[in-house]
Amino acid sequence: MAVQCRVFNTTYNPERLRMGTHILHQRLKGASVASYYPPRIGTIKQLRALYPDFEILHDKEEDWLEAQQVARSRGKAPPKKKRTAAESKKFNKRR
Amino acid sequence: MSQFRAKKLDLGCYINIRNIRDHTKRKVFAENEPERQALRYIIRNTTFPQRVRAQAQLQLAQMHCYTRYTQVKNRCIMGGKGRGVFSDFRLGRYQFRLNALAGHLPGVKKASW
Repeated sequence: MAVQCRVFNTTYNPERLRMGTHILHQRLKGASVASYYPPRIGTIKQLRALYPDFEILHDKEEDWLEAQQVARSRGKAPPKKKRTAAESKKFNKRR
Repeated sequence: MSQFRAKKLDLGCYINIRNIRDHTKRKVFAENEPERQALRYIIRNTTFPQRVRAQAQLQLAQMHCYTRYTQVKNRCIMGGKGRGVFSDFRLGRYQFRLNALAGHLPGVKKASW
């Protein structure tokens, strides 16, 4: 029995005590579980980091910037961010 | 449990909050799996003193629920569905049908006899 355990690399346990070795024998499945969903690849930012000498256009961002420009020229841009608590109070104009 | 969530989106599939949450759980589980297994080993090993085993039990019970494998659920990567998901294709049954008919799944053919 002892020889068999040595050959097959199992724990020699003739008294059949509960040693919990079956848990040590279990394979870790975390890596395969965590890779279920595909990763996010091929974004414009990643491409720019990979190829810094190429100019990569981001159509959506450019459209957005243009719309912002137009809105600003028409005076429709979003208001400036408030920096202090007094500024950010909603009804602190004049009573 | 947004403390575990990635600060930047790292999913390339269909995105809704349930998919993001499940992805987070999977990553937390993978991170904590060795610790959990070690605690489980201590608990199951009757040759350790009772006090040590009880402490390990407490410690395992006090770990965050996201570190538990039972929290993980297979979801459809193209529609976010949680039910009727083929684990081989990671697709919900309707998405599976659409993709199979379109020929996106190699080896899948409509049966007819």
